Amino acid sequence: MATLGKSQPIPKLNEHTYVAGRSNLARSLAQLRRHRMALVGAALVTFVILFVVVGSILIPEADSRYNDPSRALQAPSVEHPFGTDVIGRDILARVVYGGQVSLFVGVTAVIVQILVGTFVGVAAGYLGGAVDSVLMRLAEAMLSIPQLFLALIALRLFSDPTQFPDFTFMGRQYSATMIVIVFVIGLTSWMRVSRIVRSVVLSVKEQEYVTAAHAIGASSVRTVLVHVLPNCLAPIVVSATLGVAAAILLEAYLGFLGLGVRAPTPTWGNIMGQANSYLNQWYYWFFPALFIMLTTLGINFLGDGLRDAFDPKSLR
Amino acid sequence: MTQFIFRRLLQAIPLLFIISFVLFAFTNALGDPLAVFAESRQRPSAAEREMLVRRLGLDRPIFEQYLVWLVGNDWMLVDVRGDGSVMEPGTRKGVLRGDLGLSFVTRKPAWTRIEERLPMTLTLMVPAYIITVVLAIGIGVYSSIRQYSLTDNVITGLSFFFYSMPIFFIALLTIYIFGVQFPRWNLPGLPIGGTGNGSFPDLLVHMLMPVFCLVAIQLAGYVRFIRSSMLDVLNQDYIRTAHAKGLSENRVVQRHAFKNASLPLVTLIGLDLPFLLAGAVVTERIFAWPGMGRLFIESFERADVPVMMAILMLLCLLVVAFQLLTDVVYTWFDPRIRY
Repeated sequence: MATLGKSQPIPKLNEHTYVAGRSNLARSLAQLRRHRMALVGAALVTFVILFVVVGSILIPEADSRYNDPSRALQAPSVEHPFGTDVIGRDILARVVYGGQVSLFVGVTAVIVQILVGTFVGVAAGYLGGAVDSVLMRLAEAMLSIPQLFLALIALRLFSDPTQFPDFTFMGRQYSATMIVIVFVIGLTSWMRVSRIVRSVVLSVKEQEYVTAAHAIGASSVRTVLVHVLPNCLAPIVVSATLGVAAAILLEAYLGFLGLGVRAPTPTWGNIMGQANSYLNQWYYWFFPALFIMLTTLGINFLGDGLRDAFDPKSLR
Repeated sequence: MTQFIFRRLLQAIPLLFIISFVLFAFTNALGDPLAVFAESRQRPSAAEREMLVRRLGLDRPIFEQYLVWLVGNDWMLVDVRGDGSVMEPGTRKGVLRGDLGLSFVTRKPAWTRIEERLPMTLTLMVPAYIITVVLAIGIGVYSSIRQYSLTDNVITGLSFFFYSMPIFFIALLTIYIFGVQFPRWNLPGLPIGGTGNGSFPDLLVHMLMPVFCLVAIQLAGYVRFIRSSMLDVLNQDYIRTAHAKGLSENRVVQRHAFKNASLPLVTLIGLDLPFLLAGAVVTERIFAWPGMGRLFIESFERADVPVMMAILMLLCLLVVAFQLLTDVVYTWFDPRIRY
């Protein structure tokens, strides 16, 4: 965006400035690299990912489950850098393994959200007419109820432990609520994505190359996949990035209310849920909350950088 | 204009019916609402329980239950014993006639439950919202006219920081610092939760922390929104013209830029206002504030369908109403828009 009253530096004339045929993607990536906040965001996200990955290599998974009431609620020490929780489990180990689940939930929930949102958006925009108005009314209806309320109701409906028992994967036991919550978050947050995609589809649909594709006999599916969807990529990438932060936060809120992923699976959210009545033991709630914040902060920085990079209006 | 309002209302009615049916089906599937009686001292016998189920119509198909919820059952007879021996006329009037039903838990009308909690939620949410919007306008405008200055960068960085902060983190930190550590340092500490002893000054003291947290969390989003809509306007030709005419900076910003930049803000506020009623579930939980968010969680945990439906439908109705109102107010703010 041009700045009022301040002139932009004139680019130096050298051969790099006028290299022909720089692709949009290359230009966007270059733009992203210049975006300092995006770099900070990428660094934060990398740090959190390294923390949960390296942590899980150094600390055995059994540590996050091993409890010893005789060492309950100990303040941080060399042995337990983040302290111990109310039944004497090591909080560092729980933050590491809970973090893996939280990040997994955040990313997969967004995949669900993007798939549903894109499908609905393309269907509404491309088909138009009755399909459009039904789908958009549905989106409107779901937007008129707070997402937390919707998620709570959906979560309760599908978290009956007798119907959805715990399962074991790669030697670790997980609560089925972990999978349920992915779909609950994904299916209660696709509305904004579908609106964005729909508006892009509506404007692209009228372009000549889409008419041309039809004229040479391309099927509707091919037209959508090859000509329409690539145009939606940039806004989808941006909202997916920001969506991961929102999904991690929603998981944390549900866990905090004690209604999220159930034991034995730790998540940042349900550690917070147990910790919130132990106000005096600051280390109990401080570390999981800190990691939630670092993650969402990093992702939001990154998403904002991506938005600037992909938005042609912001090209300087 | 009248035609536009009329058309929008006509669109809204089927929408509300569909939402209400889906929510009704979902909330009814949440659990056994009669489970609350199992804990109570006068536990009903199996026969009494069955009678209760029939009186409440819980044995009927979901479509019929929805119909009763909608139009009441005072026009039909309820077979209380299940064998046709005792037929009672229904007592419910239905939502369309303003009867939201009785709470399964307290046996009081669902509306009185809302009436008890709504004022408390509004005492918390309205001041927090007003402070947020006023501060956000000041900060956002300031930061937009000094784009990329140090102040702007600090503000943008801070707003990202708070925007990404889960509300429980900032709430627990403020409670820990002002409620727990301050008294230990012999400083005047703030009360940790609740609404106080009923006097107005005490209420204000109890509001300090939750309002601060709500403002801190919401502010960032609004600042960023106002900053970017101001930046859009500041790049317009008519702003350059206004500067070229020799108008003072203040006049350009206030009369030419902010007035135009506030249009998207009107939409945002219009769409956000109804959600103030929903309260803040997590904040109310942390500060033990008896508001709508906690009422929803309480009725959710006890499968209190009438109260949940009352809250959800009130919200939907207000969202629809405010969307319409926003569109109408828009034409008043921006005479270029005609429907």
